[in-house]
Amino acid sequence: MKVIEIRDLHKIYKASDIEVHAVNCVNLDFQEAEFAAIVGPSGSGKTTLLNLLGGLDMPTSGQILIDGTDLSMLKSSALIDFRMRNIGFVFQSYNLIPVLTAKENIEFIMSLQKWIKKEREERSFELLKAIGLSDRTNSRPAKLSGGQQQRVAVARALASRPKFVLADEPTANLDSKSASTLLEIMEKLNHEEKITFIFSTHDPRVMKMARRVITLEDGKVVSDDVRE
Amino acid sequence: MKDYQLAWKNLWRNKRRTLITAASVFFAVFFALVMRSFQLGTYDSMYKNVIESYTGYIQIQHQDYAEEPILDNSFEADPEMMKKVKSDPNVKDVVPRLESYTLAASGSRTQGVMMLGVDPEKEENLSGMRDRLVKFKLTEDAIEALKSTDLPDRTLRLLDLFRNEAYSSTGRMMLDLGISTEDSTVVLPVLRRNASFTNKYFSGSSDGEVLIGSGLSDFLKINVGDTLILMGQGYHGTSAAGNFIVAGIIKLPSPDIDKRIVYMPLETARELYAAPGLATSAVLSLKDFDDKSIDKTAVRLKTFVADPLAVKTWRELNALLLNQMEADNRSGMIMIGILYLVIAFGVFGTVLMMMAERRREFGMLVSVGMQKSKLAKVVTIEMFLMGLLGVISGIIASLPLVYYGHFRPLRFTGEYARMYEDYGMEPVMPTLLPDTYYLWQTVVVMIIISIAIIFSVRKIFRIDLISSLKA
Ligand SMILES: Nc1ncnc2c1ncn2[C@@H]1O[C@H](COP(=O)(O)OP(=O)(O)OP(=O)(O)O)[C@@H](O)[C@H]1O
Ligand SMILES: [Mg+2]
Repeated sequence: MKVIEIRDLHKIYKASDIEVHAVNCVNLDFQEAEFAAIVGPSGSGKTTLLNLLGGLDMPTSGQILIDGTDLSMLKSSALIDFRMRNIGFVFQSYNLIPVLTAKENIEFIMSLQKWIKKEREERSFELLKAIGLSDRTNSRPAKLSGGQQQRVAVARALASRPKFVLADEPTANLDSKSASTLLEIMEKLNHEEKITFIFSTHDPRVMKMARRVITLEDGKVVSDDVRE
Repeated sequence: MKDYQLAWKNLWRNKRRTLITAASVFFAVFFALVMRSFQLGTYDSMYKNVIESYTGYIQIQHQDYAEEPILDNSFEADPEMMKKVKSDPNVKDVVPRLESYTLAASGSRTQGVMMLGVDPEKEENLSGMRDRLVKFKLTEDAIEALKSTDLPDRTLRLLDLFRNEAYSSTGRMMLDLGISTEDSTVVLPVLRRNASFTNKYFSGSSDGEVLIGSGLSDFLKINVGDTLILMGQGYHGTSAAGNFIVAGIIKLPSPDIDKRIVYMPLETARELYAAPGLATSAVLSLKDFDDKSIDKTAVRLKTFVADPLAVKTWRELNALLLNQMEADNRSGMIMIGILYLVIAFGVFGTVLMMMAERRREFGMLVSVGMQKSKLAKVVTIEMFLMGLLGVISGIIASLPLVYYGHFRPLRFTGEYARMYEDYGMEPVMPTLLPDTYYLWQTVVVMIIISIAIIFSVRKIFRIDLISSLKA
């Protein structure tokens, strides 16, 4: 089943007189339960594409349809609501609310969605186990390592079962061991929960774990390899 | 996670910053309240002193008397109207007075004084004049005598500071001389033996008697039993002069009045000034004398007190004093304004810092789906709590001081006291008990906090996700 359709997507930045074509006529589809990496040299448009997909930025032209909903049709607060219900986010860093514990951070989107307490707790308990942090339930982010924080962020993104999770270089600030642990967890959860993951990366080892690798250059898709 | 829970946690994320900001609010509120309390308390006591010992809260006068306070602008009360005035629910009694500026002399000294012809009975009920009679006086002789007694050291030392001071009550004297309640049983009899002052109120029979202010008695160097000469102008330009015997000396709280007042029975005054049946004012003795009751009573009276008479409230009767206090008040307000400006900068500094520091977090929260309005609510609660913490602690800290200062007012002695008295003010600085001014200070601080909140909320609504996430 198609989760995301991208049609003739363009994003042009205008800085003084120079125009930067950060995303240049991209057409892509994503299916349910995909585990896809977006790769490419620095400045190729990975972050820009992910931001457009997440509704954090508006395209210059083209369409993004998520389960049939055109993102550009949604205005401010409806768009925020749409993100809250359909898209999980994992950023490079500063993903978590510093004053909340690991468990509370994982439950954050669920409580925005007004899940009842019992269900929230069951879900966060399950996810804390899945990310191997059952013993750090009540730790605040400052007391967790970078890798552990990113794992909590992944759990937070997944917790309310969104349609897909976007992760822009989730391993960029991690050592290679933590990076592969994080990827393994992402892969496992993708497999178990059938939620699409789209992440960007520079790291060849991370790339290797993806089942689909989309390569960007100068804002264009230059290759789209699916391996099984 | 409820919004207020998140706000509460955020409040303590940077304990030091929160405490410093709350502390700056605390100090501003504390100082503003204490300053204001002293200022308003001083005005209040000044008004009370003048009102209770002299003008009263409401007077009926000839309408021209305020412009030209001369005997020719006196009036003969219409008994029908006075009856009506007396039947007002807030009026206890109507007390007639005949006032005139006149010259008082004794020996080679003269002083311009206010002669007040009063009804001894009624005036006693109105202003408790009998209680104001001097009961103790620390004359040179009295101090000499007291020094050879076994009074506590502290009191002996204080005696010199209060040389020549007259007291109409033991309370004030005990305060000045540092006499504790426990000591009083021993000390008071000693003082009574050595510093008592014999005095009497108008006896009623003999009509050549006057009572004078203790300040005037010091200035003219006359005492009970001495003769005072009064020279002035009577009704319609007759000359009015006579010799009087000083029957008693009165201590009035307002030094200005104390230095220039002579009381005599109304009938004696009418005779002296050739003004039979006339009065320059009728002072109303009221049941309730808070501002609201006074205004209401004045409005009621004005419906039937007609030409040529006029109803005047204490504000009109003391316009000059009120003006002076108003000017002083303005300078106090400027001080407080500066104080608040300082905390406004403190609060804004904190808010700017906080907003810059949390830009990324705010970007992240809105990105993952937190509505800006919800985020704004959390930040509003945080800042509101921080302000409230400062305000409430400031109020609590000010209370003991304000209450203490009200019941044991700061009293100046020596040079300071003289300076105050030169300005016609009693040398005390009592505080005013918490009143609407507490509310106003709180409102002002909350307005400052609200401006900071509006600023942050605007920032949140204008947040640019892409750049905040990059930051
Ligand atoms: N806000 C912006 N204003 C102007 N130009 C921008 C802006 N954001 C990105 N660009 C430009 O768009 C192009 C794509 O940038 P983008 O950040 O998407 O690349 P990237 O593939 O994520 O790079 P990296 O691997 O370094 O993160 C770059 O040339 C960049 O300079
Ligand atoms: Mg990037």
